[in-house]
Amino acid sequence: MVIDLRALAHKTWRTIASIQTGVVLLILVVILSAVGTIVLQRPTTEPDEMQSAYSPHVLRILDAVGLTDVFHSWWFLGLVLLVSLCITAASIDRFPNSWRYFSRPYKYPDEGFRRASHPQKSLAIADEESGLVAAQRALHSLGFKPERVVREDHFGIFAERHRISELAVYIVHASLLLIFFGTIVDGIWGWRGYLSLNEGQSSNIVELHDGSTRTLPFAIRCDAAGQENYKDGTPKKWWSKLAVVEDGRDVQKKEIVVNDPLLYNGVRFYQSSYGPNGKVDKLLLVATPSKSSGDKQEVGLALNDSVPLDADTTVRFAEFFPDYAVRDGQVYRKSNQLENPAAHLVVTSKRAGKDFDVWLPAMDGVADNSLAPYQFQATDLKMGHFTGLQVSHEPGQWGVWSGVVLMGIGLAFVFYVVHMRFWVVPVRDPKTGKNSLWIGGTANRNRDAFEQRFNDLVALVEEDLKTIPRTSRSEPVATGISN
Amino acid sequence: MARVKVEQQQPATGVTLIVLVGLAIAFLLFMAFLNVVKSGNLLNETNLLFAALIFYAGAGALYLGFGITGTESYVKFASLATGLGLIANTAAIAHRWYEAGHAPFSSVYEMLLSFVWTLAVLTLVAEKKYGVKVIGTVTMPVAIVGVVLMQLLRTDVHPLVPALQSTWLHVHVTLAMLAYAACALSFALAAMFLIQDNVKTETFLAATSASTLAIYASVVLTRFEKWGGLSLVAWNPEQKSEVFLSRGVRLFVTIPDLGWLMTLTLLVVASPLVFYGLARWKKNDSFLTLANRAVFLSILLQVMTLVMFLVRASDGRYPSLDADGLFPTSLAASPFILSGLVGGVFISLLYLLLLWRRPDLGRLLPSADNLDRITYKTICLAFPLLTLMIASGAYWANQTWGSYWSWDPKETWAAITWLVYALYLHMRITRGWRGRRAAYFAIGGFAVVMFTFFGVTYLLPGLHAYA
Repeated sequence: MVIDLRALAHKTWRTIASIQTGVVLLILVVILSAVGTIVLQRPTTEPDEMQSAYSPHVLRILDAVGLTDVFHSWWFLGLVLLVSLCITAASIDRFPNSWRYFSRPYKYPDEGFRRASHPQKSLAIADEESGLVAAQRALHSLGFKPERVVREDHFGIFAERHRISELAVYIVHASLLLIFFGTIVDGIWGWRGYLSLNEGQSSNIVELHDGSTRTLPFAIRCDAAGQENYKDGTPKKWWSKLAVVEDGRDVQKKEIVVNDPLLYNGVRFYQSSYGPNGKVDKLLLVATPSKSSGDKQEVGLALNDSVPLDADTTVRFAEFFPDYAVRDGQVYRKSNQLENPAAHLVVTSKRAGKDFDVWLPAMDGVADNSLAPYQFQATDLKMGHFTGLQVSHEPGQWGVWSGVVLMGIGLAFVFYVVHMRFWVVPVRDPKTGKNSLWIGGTANRNRDAFEQRFNDLVALVEEDLKTIPRTSRSEPVATGISN
Repeated sequence: MARVKVEQQQPATGVTLIVLVGLAIAFLLFMAFLNVVKSGNLLNETNLLFAALIFYAGAGALYLGFGITGTESYVKFASLATGLGLIANTAAIAHRWYEAGHAPFSSVYEMLLSFVWTLAVLTLVAEKKYGVKVIGTVTMPVAIVGVVLMQLLRTDVHPLVPALQSTWLHVHVTLAMLAYAACALSFALAAMFLIQDNVKTETFLAATSASTLAIYASVVLTRFEKWGGLSLVAWNPEQKSEVFLSRGVRLFVTIPDLGWLMTLTLLVVASPLVFYGLARWKKNDSFLTLANRAVFLSILLQVMTLVMFLVRASDGRYPSLDADGLFPTSLAASPFILSGLVGGVFISLLYLLLLWRRPDLGRLLPSADNLDRITYKTICLAFPLLTLMIASGAYWANQTWGSYWSWDPKETWAAITWLVYALYLHMRITRGWRGRRAAYFAIGGFAVVMFTFFGVTYLLPGLHAYA
């Protein structure tokens, strides 16, 4: 069997470049995307939710086929690539023609064209020159720049506007390809992750969404973070004061909020969340000596801090429970939420030679606060907070945004910039010898609006012709020689 | 082939109704003014909205009057009333914007306010620019329902959560509303084209029945409880929000017997379609008369269902299968079901308008050719708007969540909508599709828009929980 490679290649090209193929591929994209919204997708769904939504057998099949992560599957990516290929091929296929059309304006309509042209109108004129001059004036008043077209044996007027409109569709498709290119670059070289910092903490390790970590060449330090609420308690604003530390120096500082990220070296840090980290920042106490009459002291302790109360006694903030529970004489941490806080202080007395446990609030059965040389009262508890940052690096987004802008321009040209052409040709009827002015025009869009404009032009020309003085019109052209 | 008989009405001069409506508007405005003078605050938002409601109601009444009697002079005064209502509506929006400090896009109430305004604008644009004078018969009743709904829902200015505090939000949501409005308009124009292209009234009957069936099926299939109750999301009146059991999981209450009512209505609403099928299969047109009777019955039943829903959902405390105790619910907790029920009534009434007034509509609507062209032009407007909407949404997402495209269902369906309209344009420009094929495609495109707007939020959860 002889396979005609040339014919096969030609046929393949014709198929890839055909609009039919494009339509079929687009329909496939639509169907597969729809499926990707109905089947639960792994990147956005918790694993146990996936397990509870589908039976193990069904889940295995879905996973195998790739339906649980449609938008990152090889066949979806392949489909998008095919669509890009189809658009490119179709554009390459059609562009030469459009370019020829664009670069070589058809300035003089021959007889066949004139016959088939729509709209068109023929007006009776006395002589060629006055007709052409009237047409020129009319075109000028409509905002066109008419030019005289002179060939060896015929002449006429040609006026056009917005020829670029013929290429507008290629701008739109090129912009689409640019957007695809940007997303592919991001797909390969971009990454997104999460970084959580306590106040004062700095880190350069980002947790990526797939579980792996990425180390940045610079670190981020959280100097402060906070939350502002509305009167009814709902969050109004989360903010973080961040500093970028590179080579030991602070190279950039910014206070970020939701919607306003920090950008450094192509990496963006977004304010994503904020909350208590369950750790205590500082515990403020008032210490009163138990037995002797001494003055009250105000003490501020961070966890594991030790502060001397007098020459003999020190107090240490040994343990903190944000949500405590007592069982069998032992204090346990019930949760990390700040519900029932408890602090364990250890008071060391050199004279007594031992440590006394003090619990706030007092815990009967665990320790006896009254034994300690000092009595304590908590006045304030400052909790620590963490700030949650989304981190992303998307090098391809410039392709995407420029593609979007280009598409906006392209669409504006496609829909609203119309390529209009007018031709005015003086014609002499060979049989009767009468002169007439043939006017024709085309537009590549909005033909009904163009017809209105054409009629306006014709009316203007007619108006102009009527005002030609009688003297120049009275000379009959009686040569009988056809043009 | 025998057609369904349409009653010929005597053409009335119509002056009586116009005068009556005018007097009614004047009376209502006067009463409102008296009331307002008593309380002292003339130009607050509620009063402005009330004025808008009065004018839109007057316009709606005149449009419906046209629908019933075919008197064309009603249409002129109806558009006058629409214009006056629009002025009041614009003032209400300006007031709201000023009071809230942000554009009215961040709650259901505000969205309705903007939506009703857009409807009024589109009505006038369609009338003046495109010469489609009867579009008010469709848009004004919707506007009235919108204003009424607004009164039923919360009106307090709700402060914006951090993610929604962005200019790009306003841009994105404005573009979304304009784009969807343009798509809705193209749908209406395509439907009008089919009317003028002499598509049989029976086909519209089947389409109406199928659409209302889809609405009731989606309600029943997702919310019917085993013992005939209907599940609705619980509502917390103090916090003015839905009740959540845990992150992303809503608490549902069960309103007894409402499920049975919905199912009954579903069956009645499906019956015209069944009769239509029988008429086609048995080639017997007497089934069509039965089908039209069934439409009347379905309207009655749909209205009854709507009223029962309004009554039960806005008051009372109901049990839940997921938690102990009784919980209240609210219409604000079920905006989609409410819209669906209202929409169903509305679509059925529109079919009646077609059934009774087809010859008049034929006269008042532009020619089929014109409608075909105008539909195309409207989509030429909708498509760039859709593009900009998606682009601004992507930019906002990038600023807020660090990713311009995360394939979340709403984003994906917005892209699907965009692709569908791109396909329409390709088919039209390069393959020369015109007429019926193009009209069906435009209608299909709007169905996708409806799914993107309602279906995704109602049926598929995601990041887009705000709207």
